[in-house]
Amino acid sequence: MAKKGSYDFQLILATTVVLAAISLICVAAMFQFKAAAIHTLPPEAKVAWQEGMNRLVAPFLIALLVLLGICVPKRLLPTVWLNRFAALLIVTATLTGWWFGVKTGLLVILCVALGLQLAVLILALLGSERLNFTNKGYWGRVGSSLVHLGLVLFVLDLFFYRRPGLHLLLFWVTTAATTSGMICCFYAEGIVRVLGGGKAED
Amino acid sequence: MTAIIDLQLFQAAGRPLMLALLGLSVLLGLSGMANLWRREPWREKESRVGLLLVNVLFGLGFLLIGWLHWRINRELPLALPDQLAGWLNSQLAASNQGAAYGLPLYDPAQPPRYIIPLWIENEKYYFWFMSFALVSLLAWRRPTSHRFRGGLLVLLAVQVALLFSLADPFAEPLPRFFAEITPWFSGDAQPMARMGLFMQLYPKMIFYYNAHYMWLHPPLLFISYACITLTFLASLFMLVGRSQEIERLGYDSAKFGYLLLTLGMLLGYPWALQAWGPNWWWDPKICSSIMMWAIYSTYLHTRLYANKVSMWYFSSFLGILCFAAMVFTFLASFLFPGEHTFQ
Repeated sequence: MAKKGSYDFQLILATTVVLAAISLICVAAMFQFKAAAIHTLPPEAKVAWQEGMNRLVAPFLIALLVLLGICVPKRLLPTVWLNRFAALLIVTATLTGWWFGVKTGLLVILCVALGLQLAVLILALLGSERLNFTNKGYWGRVGSSLVHLGLVLFVLDLFFYRRPGLHLLLFWVTTAATTSGMICCFYAEGIVRVLGGGKAED
Repeated sequence: MTAIIDLQLFQAAGRPLMLALLGLSVLLGLSGMANLWRREPWREKESRVGLLLVNVLFGLGFLLIGWLHWRINRELPLALPDQLAGWLNSQLAASNQGAAYGLPLYDPAQPPRYIIPLWIENEKYYFWFMSFALVSLLAWRRPTSHRFRGGLLVLLAVQVALLFSLADPFAEPLPRFFAEITPWFSGDAQPMARMGLFMQLYPKMIFYYNAHYMWLHPPLLFISYACITLTFLASLFMLVGRSQEIERLGYDSAKFGYLLLTLGMLLGYPWALQAWGPNWWWDPKICSSIMMWAIYSTYLHTRLYANKVSMWYFSSFLGILCFAAMVFTFLASFLFPGEHTFQ
């Protein structure tokens, strides 16, 4: 278990708040769906309602991705640079969103998060000592990188849901990354045993 | 039709099985309550044997359900007269043009047959609670406490009582399915009326009953629900004591449940696109599922800091909230309208 008061702990608390907000929006959407009988509306009105809900949840998705954006380089950079990086990410996303629309802002964040997560995954696979994970084991690190990569890919997949080919391809990559990541993360010791190595921390 | 598939035999075999399951579970529930109350373990060995027997009974019932589904597959094909097959295929070919997901053409040599998964209608509760019985048996092997084991038995007894009284899959087997197909197998409709019936049954057969996602999406979720129930019990015990073994068991169960929940939810996604098109997003059931997943994710994150008193209680609170979210998500299918609903 990790120590309280660390940067990790603060990030986890922030993630908790954002996930709670997304949960509340989902519950509110359910009751609104029922109260306004959205399912009985004409298709155009239904799509308009969906777009409205997308706009409502977008800032929290961006916040989640920013947190992920900070989580990822925290494994590469010292804290002082992390704060600068987070500020830069937020300013870039806000300006892009302001100038070109929320979708573009989200896309910028997604691309940055995707690039970073891929870099971390490669470093984790290579067993780099530069990475600063809470989890010290090789498979735990690889798994954690894959799960976070899966989350970024999932949001990216939602972004491209009107392009069936790309959408389904991204979906299956997301599923593979998330599932294999969770297995590596949760069952690192078992994997090490199966592979005939030493401890999971090796 | 019911005679063809030996439905009465299925019911006659299922009735004593459910009675035995109920009787045994009531005894286990009483033993569980005694263990919850007492300071010392009471009849733990007998309770373990009882739990094993409950699992065996659940397994036998599951085999019986499998037999019924096999009979449906063998004996109830959707066969059309040859003169209608050609006309039907021309209609299907026309409607498939430009569609992302079309219906397969009708093959008179091999008429379409139902391949119904073993967790539809009341059977889903059977599978869900059977999963919990198995999870309880596995949890029994871990060094926890007689009170925790007592709690497991009480929860199991409650689930079996609910199954017996509200959702017995042997008392009234697959009522909606049989209501749907009865007009077809009554066999007295005119050719065009028969074609109309076929076009009501065939898409549902392809996109629901026979969908391969149906074999993956629901069972993964039901097993994860069983794991969440175990985590819920562990979280309740965490509120009244600081047993590391119970906390560890709850966390292990949560990890496995989260893996299955995530995979199950993800596998529902391409299926939703196939069956409902792209406009299912923000559907109430989807919203509640995301809400549950978000709470579950939060639980797993906060648990990393459970060595601190405040986070110990916060993570146990989230474990309980996760269970509440699961119940709410399940009930959402009945209480809210939308695509993924039983309303």
